[in-house]
Amino acid sequence: MNTHAHRTSEENEDIQRRFSFRGSQLKYYAWAVASVSIVTVIGEILKPHFDLINIVLLYLLPVLVSAVRWGRGPSFLSSFLGVLSFNFFFVPPIFTFAVGSMQHLFALVVFFLVALVTGGIATRLKDELEKATERERRTLTLYELSREIAAKTDLEQVLKAFAGKVGDTIRGEAVVFVQDPDADILRKMAATEDNAVFDAKEYAVARWVLEHGQPAGKGLGIFEGARSLFFFPVRAEDKILAVLGIRPNVENETLSGEQRQLIETFTNLAAVAIVRLQFAEEAEQAKVLAESEKLHAALLNSISHDLRTPLASITGAVTSLLAEGSMYTQETRDIFLQTIREEAHRMNRFIENLLRMVRLESGTLKLNMNWCDIQDIVGVVLRETRDALQGHTVTIDIPPDLPSVMADFILIEQVMVNLLDNAAKYSLPSSQISISAYYEDNVLLLTVADPGPPIPKAEQKHVFDKFYRRQSSKHASGTGLGLSICKGIIEAHGGSIRVDSAPEYGNRFTFYLPVLEEPLEQIPVREGAGHVD
Amino acid sequence: MSTDGARVLVVDDEKQIRRMLKAALEGHGYDIAEAATGQQGLSQTAIFHPDLIVLDLGLPDLDGVEVIQRLREWTQIPIIVLSVREHEDDKIKALDAGADDYVTKPFSMGELLARLRASLRRTAGSEDTPLLTFGELSVDLARRYVTIRGEEVKLTPTEYEVLKYLAQQAGRVVTHRQLLKAIWGSNYQEESQYLRVYVGQLRRKIEADPSQPAIIITEPGVGYRLITGD
Repeated sequence: MNTHAHRTSEENEDIQRRFSFRGSQLKYYAWAVASVSIVTVIGEILKPHFDLINIVLLYLLPVLVSAVRWGRGPSFLSSFLGVLSFNFFFVPPIFTFAVGSMQHLFALVVFFLVALVTGGIATRLKDELEKATERERRTLTLYELSREIAAKTDLEQVLKAFAGKVGDTIRGEAVVFVQDPDADILRKMAATEDNAVFDAKEYAVARWVLEHGQPAGKGLGIFEGARSLFFFPVRAEDKILAVLGIRPNVENETLSGEQRQLIETFTNLAAVAIVRLQFAEEAEQAKVLAESEKLHAALLNSISHDLRTPLASITGAVTSLLAEGSMYTQETRDIFLQTIREEAHRMNRFIENLLRMVRLESGTLKLNMNWCDIQDIVGVVLRETRDALQGHTVTIDIPPDLPSVMADFILIEQVMVNLLDNAAKYSLPSSQISISAYYEDNVLLLTVADPGPPIPKAEQKHVFDKFYRRQSSKHASGTGLGLSICKGIIEAHGGSIRVDSAPEYGNRFTFYLPVLEEPLEQIPVREGAGHVD
Repeated sequence: MSTDGARVLVVDDEKQIRRMLKAALEGHGYDIAEAATGQQGLSQTAIFHPDLIVLDLGLPDLDGVEVIQRLREWTQIPIIVLSVREHEDDKIKALDAGADDYVTKPFSMGELLARLRASLRRTAGSEDTPLLTFGELSVDLARRYVTIRGEEVKLTPTEYEVLKYLAQQAGRVVTHRQLLKAIWGSNYQEESQYLRVYVGQLRRKIEADPSQPAIIITEPGVGYRLITGD
């Protein structure tokens, strides 16, 4: 027992030797002969001082040593040679195999039996230890591999770790092939050696393994080639995920049962890891798909709502006029006609918004830059939003000395129309909406403020997202397009837009436009806000 | 017109719709009040005492279905939902909450007016009329006696119950759930195949052409409606 640690490492070596190739047993027999010879010499030296019966005990030493170190055969040989040597060199008559007395014959027979039994026990002990060590080693290797691949989140890394471990264990090269998803070929995904080359025939074998899910190679019954080469399927249930190719460093080797078992356990581990990664990937894709479906549904919802609402007024008015036009007063008929005009106008604005959105998205929105007077734009915007702002009061605070700004008149007009539409929609009837502008450090700031319920902090950063509707008022009509279009347009101008809200003053939407000396040629769409502090 | 002075409350956040409805309904002799939000609608109902409410579902403050539920806590005023939401689920939700009818936008004024009249007539004439007549169909509730084109129709007890319930709600959509609950009890609210069977049998007995029903019509995905014949 005290030699356990020492022996373990030795036996490790022994196992590895067995894994790489079957070592010559002959050497062990030679060692057995040598040890018996040494004991004989020692016996000769000790003979004058000891009884013959004591000397026979010496011969148990080579038997035990052979059993523990070299196995069953050498141990038997030691027992046999021990009996012969003792008989020949020590038992009178010396130098013959004859036995003089009954007593000596008895000693020889007992010795031989004891030697055989102890040799046998020692050998079995050694074998069991060997097996235990081997089991321990295998468990350790498997544990290492599973730990390594569990930490990996990328298929290639998992397969690399897998190939590496197999290569270490088998003492050779290991390669993992996977089916190329885009083409009908096998692709080398990971290898212990970067330049591991397989010829066309070997690729064909790998392909066969992928298709049939059975291992192939020397000693495996299928595709017994001249070279030592093995292919194992990596399978999860009935799906073959990959093929493991192994080429041991030593030629003309077949795989032992244990090796095969170990490799198959490795491939199972790899299969679990691959499936895990596939699931993770599918879950990710499903999430992305769900997101885009949500966006899609939001788009359809808002389009159907925003087109149908004005259509409802138009249809109601038209059907009233058509069916019973004569029973209404002139005044009522005018209301119907006004409704039709205004709602057609509103639909047109919505469609314009949609088209702008599409152009902004696709990057085909062209800015028609010109010197614009903000006062002028505000005038047009107020005329445009007269209907929407009905019932509200609007205060305007624009300094007369405001510089002109390089901008696309129509687009800035749309930004302001959208902001005012929102202000009217999200504040109570007859509240006061204000438009103010001022100039500072080459930047023009324009604010539209409404006293409506403030947008919660958490929602503020989302209000400019496409199709985003305020949680607090998601029942209200609207597309969730208006503000995102505003953002797109302002950023295309090289400016930025933001909102700040507080219960004291409601919501303030402010956009900034750079006031440039030089006319702009091409204005790139800027990602993210510029100077928003 | 028999609608003189009937008071209608229009609850819709779209100003143009309200204005258009006000003009059209006032032209037909109704007395109109408007509300732009759910809260306003609730308080106007208490102040204005309408005979009928036209309600949009997409309101800025409350969802229309919630408005219906709150109204139904204390009043049985007929509610006609007027909404762009065309999905069956939305209709069922509103009807189950207690709405009397559902009209999708865009709508024709003639249709809305017809639904309005049907709802108002139902509340006006619901005081235990033992004989219900709809064109060629008549249902005598006192004698459990049904005739079509003057001839007696033999109905099983369940068929009679289904017809009676639809006749009592004539002109309005009855959801599957409401019918099942009324006839089989609340444990059978999901068993809409029962209904298909009995409605099919009823149609074979009272419809001139059961494949093109003219009396009990199907509201796809929602329920059934007994046509009042006007």
